[in-house]
Amino acid sequence: MKTEDFAADAALFARLRAVWEDVDPMPADLVDRMVAAVAVEDLSREYALLTLVEADLAAVRSDSDTATLQFSDGTTTVLLHITQMEDGQHRVDGWVDASALDVRFVQASREFTAELGDHGRFALEGVPAGVGRLRLSVRDEAGEQHDFQTPQFEV
Amino acid sequence: MTDIDRSEPDGHERPGDAPPPASDESAVPARWEHAAALFLRWREGETRAMDELVRLMTPVLWHVVRAYGLDRALAEDVVQTTWLTLVRRHETIQDPRAVSGWLTMCARREAWRVGKLQRRADPTEVEHLEPHLPTHESAEQTAGVEDEKRQLWNSVERLDDRCQRLLRIIAFDDRPDYARIAQDLAMPVGSIGPTRQRCLGKLRTLLEGDGWRRDSDED
Repeated sequence: MKTEDFAADAALFARLRAVWEDVDPMPADLVDRMVAAVAVEDLSREYALLTLVEADLAAVRSDSDTATLQFSDGTTTVLLHITQMEDGQHRVDGWVDASALDVRFVQASREFTAELGDHGRFALEGVPAGVGRLRLSVRDEAGEQHDFQTPQFEV
Repeated sequence: MTDIDRSEPDGHERPGDAPPPASDESAVPARWEHAAALFLRWREGETRAMDELVRLMTPVLWHVVRAYGLDRALAEDVVQTTWLTLVRRHETIQDPRAVSGWLTMCARREAWRVGKLQRRADPTEVEHLEPHLPTHESAEQTAGVEDEKRQLWNSVERLDDRCQRLLRIIAFDDRPDYARIAQDLAMPVGSIGPTRQRCLGKLRTLLEGDGWRRDSDED
């Protein structure tokens, strides 16, 4: 095979790449979501710590099976509303005042990835009782990505 | 010899193995070299280097995974699984220079596995990619270029599934072993793999039958 053939192959592959990029483009936000997913997974990363600002724990001790927790680092705030379901598991509805890219609740042996909604809303379902922490990656208005985690708290 | 001719990853390729050293002849580093450098920086504690690696390689993984015929949602899952596997199991990569090949191999294995499940679950659904050219217009993208792309796509679509998949994977997967094997054998990269040559040959035949200018793919 001659060098010209090699050049021709390389050129043809370059054209093929361009065609596939046109015909079957990657979802526009895929890269951002993958960056966030990896950030949340990466234990070597330094997360800014969100501290507990307010907890409506009285509700837990009462007959109503809900609790509300608020975490903040002074700039970013996360609000969690925890509801115990009939099957004994918990549903966590959350809201963060930034654009959420990836949110996970990490327990000792397992973790849950939140469904992301609009305007910083997210939800976790089927979370068993126990201690865990929330880890999240958000993007601020300037487009900067930030990774946070909360202290451990009990669901 | 590592070859990508097999459409299914079958364990003969060992992503954890050390790839050959980079060629220092090219001025612009190949993507796999760039990936290796970022991976090394991340391992040395620069956490943000991983973000760059994700930005560099996610488009490649997307096309490699989609080559297996997964629907778009499943393809996204496979790309994400690939990245999480890297973070969890990066210790198993002995030589950081292997990282891009490791990623594409991991993605191919997962795509193959998930694809089998998908086909079992829904054997009738075959996604047909509608060419939606042109997607954007710019000064460079003249009508001529678009015609050429359309012509190329028409020919690609007439190839069998295996050739389509193979060519797509190769088009996006630049791996060190290819570059080095070619260099070692004093053979052009494009000459490796009989199936690949057969598929390229078919494509060229289709293109020429369509009036494709032979010299137009050599610039």
